[in-house]
Amino acid sequence: MQEADARWVLEALSRYEAALLRYATSLVGRSLAADVVQDTFLELCRAKREEVQGHVAAWLFRVCKHRALDLGRKQRRLRSLEEADVEEAPDSGPVNKLERKEAATRVGAALARLPEREREALTLKLDAGLSYKEIAEVMGLTPSNVGFILHTAVKRVQRELGGEVKPTARVAGRTS
Amino acid sequence: MTHAHEDPRVTAYALGELPPEERAAFEAELAKSELLRDELEQVEGTLEALRDEIRAQPKDALDEARRSRIRAALPQRRRRARTLVVTAVTATAMAAGALLFFQTAGRERDAAEVAHVSPKLALDEEKNMPVRAATVAASAASAPGQAPGDDEHKGKRLDREAYDAFQDNPFVEVATDPRSTFSVDVDTASYSLMRRHLNEGRLPPKGAVRIEEMINYFAYSYPEPEAERPFSVSAEVGAAPWASGHRLLKLGLKGKHVAPADVPGTNLVFLIDTSGSMSDENKLPLLKRAFSLLVQQLDAVDRVSIVTYAGSAGMVLGPTPGNDKAAILGAFDRLDAGGSTNGGAGIQLAYKLAAEQMIRGGINRVVLATDGDFNVGMTSQSDLVDLVEQKAKSGVFLSVLGFGSGNYNDSTMEKLADKGNGNYAYIDTLNEAKKVLVEQATGTLMTIAKDVKIQVEFNPAEVSAFRLIGYENRVLAHRDFNDDKKDAGEIGADHTVTALYELVPVGGAAGVPGTDPLKYQRPGAPTGSAVKGELGTVKLRYKLPSSNESQLLEVVVRDSARPESGDFRFAAAVAELGMLLRDSPHKGSSSFADVIRLASSSELDERRRELVELARKAEQLRTRER
Repeated sequence: MQEADARWVLEALSRYEAALLRYATSLVGRSLAADVVQDTFLELCRAKREEVQGHVAAWLFRVCKHRALDLGRKQRRLRSLEEADVEEAPDSGPVNKLERKEAATRVGAALARLPEREREALTLKLDAGLSYKEIAEVMGLTPSNVGFILHTAVKRVQRELGGEVKPTARVAGRTS
Repeated sequence: MTHAHEDPRVTAYALGELPPEERAAFEAELAKSELLRDELEQVEGTLEALRDEIRAQPKDALDEARRSRIRAALPQRRRRARTLVVTAVTATAMAAGALLFFQTAGRERDAAEVAHVSPKLALDEEKNMPVRAATVAASAASAPGQAPGDDEHKGKRLDREAYDAFQDNPFVEVATDPRSTFSVDVDTASYSLMRRHLNEGRLPPKGAVRIEEMINYFAYSYPEPEAERPFSVSAEVGAAPWASGHRLLKLGLKGKHVAPADVPGTNLVFLIDTSGSMSDENKLPLLKRAFSLLVQQLDAVDRVSIVTYAGSAGMVLGPTPGNDKAAILGAFDRLDAGGSTNGGAGIQLAYKLAAEQMIRGGINRVVLATDGDFNVGMTSQSDLVDLVEQKAKSGVFLSVLGFGSGNYNDSTMEKLADKGNGNYAYIDTLNEAKKVLVEQATGTLMTIAKDVKIQVEFNPAEVSAFRLIGYENRVLAHRDFNDDKKDAGEIGADHTVTALYELVPVGGAAGVPGTDPLKYQRPGAPTGSAVKGELGTVKLRYKLPSSNESQLLEVVVRDSARPESGDFRFAAAVAELGMLLRDSPHKGSSSFADVIRLASSSELDERRRELVELARKAEQLRTRER
């Protein structure tokens, strides 16, 4: 039983580590992301298994988010003490700029330009593979909110890309 | 119909997220509408492009340093040091035949370690069996102190009960961690469970003994709260009877009195388990009588609904005015046990009814009565807990009443009540039903403060170490104290909550058990406030039932040379009995004789006398065991 508990954490680690790192990066930037993810798994080691079981993914991403926001707040406070300026909306930290620069493709650029919430929901869905319900748990929304946000995000990206995505080609691709 | 471009179902469908019933309808629409088909293809194309983009990102992994930190914290490594203790718990729990589910929880959340088998695994079989004949002939009306039944059955019937095993909170040195943070707990189920076990002739499993619930089973006299405050806080300090030189701090909270006339109305939905296992005499029949008692107190402004779950969920009684006793009691009479349990679906119906009948400012509650299994159907325990937690936010709270024995699931029930801003009581006799549902009806039903958290900071000038007695599964991280998003316990009208700390005073002969002095650091620098005389400061955070913002209350605690009050001695006696039953590592010189002597030195009412009786029984059983 004890073995199983350790294995359970390790399984979660190998399964979600990469997605959590990217998610944390999108929230606090690369330099802090590793700490955030490390803390998330340390928390998992301490958690009561029956409180986590059945929704490990949602639990991990939620804890990761809280940790990221905590750290992010601290960092911002430090920065604003040091630099005493920063005219940015609280949500568009340096991370967003960084990501915008990094986006090599048009899809990537469209993704980076999405409002925070929409990009977060999309990442959780497409990268981490969370269900609407799990995303709702992480983001503190209802599942139907999530459905709406995701749909809006998809439509926004679609508009940005104009005619680049060829529906017909996709259909052909699907049937092959 | 929604315009195709704004229809979130399209994306949900493309992602496989439409629930089956909606999917069929959507596909029917798809077949008819070319516009919708185009839209779907567009969305699928975009999703595909996004997925490719996201997957093209570099595959990050944690570096080795962080990885090894995680490995070092893995549950099994932490437990190794305690193998002995865990094994001891296991052996005893198995001896009692009650090991389905156990875990250890240390003083801090972060010391909580888990090892368990899901209770569900073991429960299915029995619940799916057809109606069983009543195996316990216990008369519901029997006074506490007797519960007949033949001995042969007892051992067997226990084996499906699920209790969480846990470790007692350890001593904490004030120099390294001066704070203690926990959530209040007004549950009392552990006491009546313990009583049932002792009355049936066996010692209770250690996991079933939660000392704070035993202490809180009894009322203590505390001052009425000041106006504006929902509860009062008081403290008393005296000798710890089981450890010479140690002090005992007793903290008391008392909820304000709410006259029944001041309650705008009561909207109750009884959610009753009528599965086959509920047919025992000490379950459904007792439950019917218990609820009849409660209903006697209702009047025309109140609403009562009854929902059952057994195989399928059903409404037995639609919302009915409280003064229509004939209709309500008639509905209770018709309840019949048979079928298997699907707690999930029944709970949803119950909450729906409660929401429809919501009385603003009144008592809105789902009262769940069950022997504790939710093992058929859609619901995982975490889904259920989520649902209950979410509904509590909407103002419908949950009370959980446990009945019967055999496959009793203590851990699920406690958790549900905890998340549902509710309380959890175990009803073993009609007297207990009277206590919970008649004498304390307003307390059981009317919440006056929610998310009540306590944080005590001890003064290093006076206290060198402390130990919170009980509340093991209510311990919070220090940072959660000021975090209004963190759920905590509720206090009802007239409820009293009592917490005991065992303190090791500075400079006394008694050191901190089990720790060596630090080699590399000296305790931090005390502030100017750390003067002699103050033991510590008690801070409380709470929210009014309709508010989401917490309020803060602070009280400074001083030691006194006054002799201990009767209440103090009695609470100490209950704690001692709990430690003996748990075979706590901190029990010191505790003995059953001591419990009896201490308790008897306070003024005994009928309920307190019962504790003395139970201590005698436990002593006999323990002697026989050895």
